[in-house]
Amino acid sequence: MVVKLGYGWRLATVATLMMSSVSMAQAAEISFLTHWGPDTVKLLDAAIEKYEAANPGDTVTVRAVPFGDLLTTLRTSGGGAGGATIAGIYDAWLPDLVRDKLVSAAADDVAADTTANWPAGVVSAASVDGALYGIPNEIDVYALNYNKRLFEEAGIAAPPKTWDEFLAAAEKLTDKSKGEQGFGLINSWAAGVLHPFASLLVSNGGDLIVDGKPVLDSEAAKQTFELYEKLVASGYSDPAMATADANTTGPFLDNFVSGKTGMIIMANWWESALKAGMGDAFADVATAPIPVGPSGDTARSISYSWMTVVNAQASAEEQDAAWKFLSWLNGPDSGENGASAMGDILMSMGILPSRTSDVAAFGDRLASDPFLLGYTETLGDAKPFPVVLGGQEFSESLQQTLEAMQFGQLTAEQAQANAQADATEILARNAQ
Amino acid sequence: MPRPTRPKSSRATRNKSRVSRGGWGTLPRPLSFPKQSPRMIGRHRRSTIGMLAPATGLIALFVLVPMVLTIGLSFTQWSTQTGFETARFIGLANFADLLGPTSIGRDFRAAFFNTALYTVLSVALIVPLSVLLGLLVHQTFAPGGIVLRTVLFSTYMVPTIAVALVWSKLYSPTEGPINQMLGWVGIPPQTWLSSPNTALVSIVILNVWQQVGYFTVLAVAGLTQIPTTLYEAARVDGASPWLQFWKITLPLLRNTLLFSAVVAVINAVQVFEPVALITQGGPVNSTNVLTYHIRRVGIERAQGGLGSAMAVTLMLSLIVVIVLLFAVLRDRGDER
Repeated sequence: MVVKLGYGWRLATVATLMMSSVSMAQAAEISFLTHWGPDTVKLLDAAIEKYEAANPGDTVTVRAVPFGDLLTTLRTSGGGAGGATIAGIYDAWLPDLVRDKLVSAAADDVAADTTANWPAGVVSAASVDGALYGIPNEIDVYALNYNKRLFEEAGIAAPPKTWDEFLAAAEKLTDKSKGEQGFGLINSWAAGVLHPFASLLVSNGGDLIVDGKPVLDSEAAKQTFELYEKLVASGYSDPAMATADANTTGPFLDNFVSGKTGMIIMANWWESALKAGMGDAFADVATAPIPVGPSGDTARSISYSWMTVVNAQASAEEQDAAWKFLSWLNGPDSGENGASAMGDILMSMGILPSRTSDVAAFGDRLASDPFLLGYTETLGDAKPFPVVLGGQEFSESLQQTLEAMQFGQLTAEQAQANAQADATEILARNAQ
Repeated sequence: MPRPTRPKSSRATRNKSRVSRGGWGTLPRPLSFPKQSPRMIGRHRRSTIGMLAPATGLIALFVLVPMVLTIGLSFTQWSTQTGFETARFIGLANFADLLGPTSIGRDFRAAFFNTALYTVLSVALIVPLSVLLGLLVHQTFAPGGIVLRTVLFSTYMVPTIAVALVWSKLYSPTEGPINQMLGWVGIPPQTWLSSPNTALVSIVILNVWQQVGYFTVLAVAGLTQIPTTLYEAARVDGASPWLQFWKITLPLLRNTLLFSAVVAVINAVQVFEPVALITQGGPVNSTNVLTYHIRRVGIERAQGGLGSAMAVTLMLSLIVVIVLLFAVLRDRGDER
C-alpha cells in the first residue's frame, strides 16, 4: 500500500512536472512594435490585458516609436534576438522585408482564416508571391478635407468635383494678407507628399506604376504636375506652410487646424489629430471625394493598408505565440458586438478597419460619421498604392522631385522628366 | 636699442650645465642606467604589452574592426539584413554611383554639400563666438562672469531631443515666438525650417546655441593659461586692448583654438538628431546631411554596401579636413 502510494505520488509528480514543462513551453514573452500614439497604445494595452487574463503565462509588451523611426527600428533590431516579435508595418515595405527574410510567412490556418475574412485586394497587399505574411488591419484612402466655415465665408456652396472647380475654390479661399492659403500641400514627409499627388493622379485617370514599370510620363501625370505648378505659382498653395515633422504633425496640420488652410488632401487616419487640435471647431471640417481631373472619369484615391507581421528570426515558440495573439486580436471574439479588438482600436482613431466582420460591426457608425463618409464613398474606386521592391526609395525620390517643384526649383516639365527617369532607374536596380 | 640676445647653446652644453648645477661636485656624475639582461628586457616588454593590451584590444575591437569592416563592405553589394557572407564584391561600383548622374549620386552630393556648409557655418560662428564670450566671462572688471559661464554651459547639458522639440516650436512660421517677436519690431515673418533657403541655417543656429557654451569653457581654459605679466608689460609699452588681443591673446590661444576647431568640425559632421527629429532632411533635401542620409540608405533601404561607401567617403573627407586644419594652424605657428 505504501509502495503503491509512493508510486502514485511519483507518477503524479512526474505528470505535474510534465504538464508544467508543457505549459512553460507554450507560455511566451512577445513584444509588439507600433507607431501608434499614447492614447491608442492604451487601448492596445487594455486588449493585451484581456488576452493575458485568458492565456496565463503569455505576456505581450508594447514598444511605440514615432512613424519616422518605425522602419529603421524594424530594420536595426527587428531581425535580432532582442527585436520585436510583432510589428505593425505599411504594405509598401513588405516586399523588401520579405526579400531580407525579416518577416515570416503566416501559418496555413492563419492564412486560410485571413483569406476567408478579408477582401481579396487587402489580402493581396499582405502577400508576396502568393504567400501571406501579415494579418491586415487598417485600410486608408484619401479624400479632400475642407473647412466649411471658410467655404461659407468665401461664398463657395459645395466642395469641388472637378479640377477647374478645385482651382476656382482655391483662388477664393486664398488671402495672403491674412496668411491664408486655398489648398495645403505637405512636404518633408514622403507619404504626405506622395499620396495626395498620387490621389490626384489616379483621379485624373493616371497611375504611378503599372506592371512594375513607372508611367509618370503619361499625359495624366503631365496634367497633375502642371496642377501642382499652377497651385504654387498662383499662390493658392504656400509650400512654407506645408512642413511636416517626424510624428507626421507640424505646420501643415497646424495651418489646417487654425483655419489658415481651406482645403487639403489627407487620409482618414488623421481624424483623431484633427479632433485633438480643433476641439469644437472640428465640426467645421467636412470631407469629399478627390476632384476629378480633365483626363479622369470618376473620383478616385489611392489606398494603402497596414498589417501586423511576425519576426522571422524569433524562436518558433515566440512565432506561434505571436500568430495566436494576432489571430485573437484581429478575430471577432476579442472586441465588442462581433468586432475585433483591433477594429475597436482602429475606429478610435477614425481608421477604417478592413476585416469584413468589422466593417459590418461598425456599419452604422461608418455610415453616420460625416467625416468618414467622404472616405467610405471613395473606397470602392480606390487604386492600391503600388507595392514593389524599392518602394520606399521610389517614394522618397518622387518626394524630392515634388518638393523641388513646390519650391520653384523645377518646372512641371522638368519634374515630370526627372521623376520618370529616377523611378525607372530605381525600380530596375531594386528588381535585380 | 636692440635687445641683448642670449647666445645659442647646443643641447649637450645645456644638459651639461644643468647637471653641473645639480650639486654633485666639480666632476659631473655621469647619467647611467643599470644594464638590463635580455631576460629583464623581455619581461619588461611583456609587462608593457600586458598593460597596454586591455586598452588597445578594446580600441581594436570597437574602433578598428568596424572601420576595416566598413571599408571592406564599401566595395561590395550587401544588404544590412543579411550576413556578411552574402556580400558580393563589386569593386569601385558604389563609389562610381556616388559620383554618377542617378538619384544615388545626386542625393549623396547634395547631402555632402549640406554637411560641408553646415560644418563651415557652425565652426565659423562657434569658434569666434566662444572667444568673444570667453573674454566676457574671463574679465574681472564687471561682476557676473561665473553666472554667465554657468548659463552658457547649461545649454550644452540640455538633451538634444529637448532642444530640438523646443526650437521646432520656436521656429514655427505662424505660431512661433521668434516670428512674433520679429513682428513687434516690424520684421516680416521668416520661413526658418519651412523653406529650403533657410532650413539649414536654422539648424546651424540651433547648433551654435547649444554648443557655444562648451567651447566658451574651452576658451576660458585657454585664457587662464596666458600669463598676466604679458598684458602688464604690453600696457606699460602703451599697447591698446585691441592690440593686446591681436598680439597676445589670439596667438597664445592658438592651441586652444586648434583643439576647438577640430572638435567643432567633428561635432558638426556628426550632426544627426536635429535633422532626424525636426526636418527629416527636408524640405527638398536641404537639411539632408550625410549621417542622416547614410542612415536612410544603409538602414532604411538596407543598402549596406552603398551606405558603407558613403561612410568611407565621409571618413576620408573628415581626415583631410582635420589634417589641413593641423597643417595650416601649425605652420602659421612655426612662422611666428
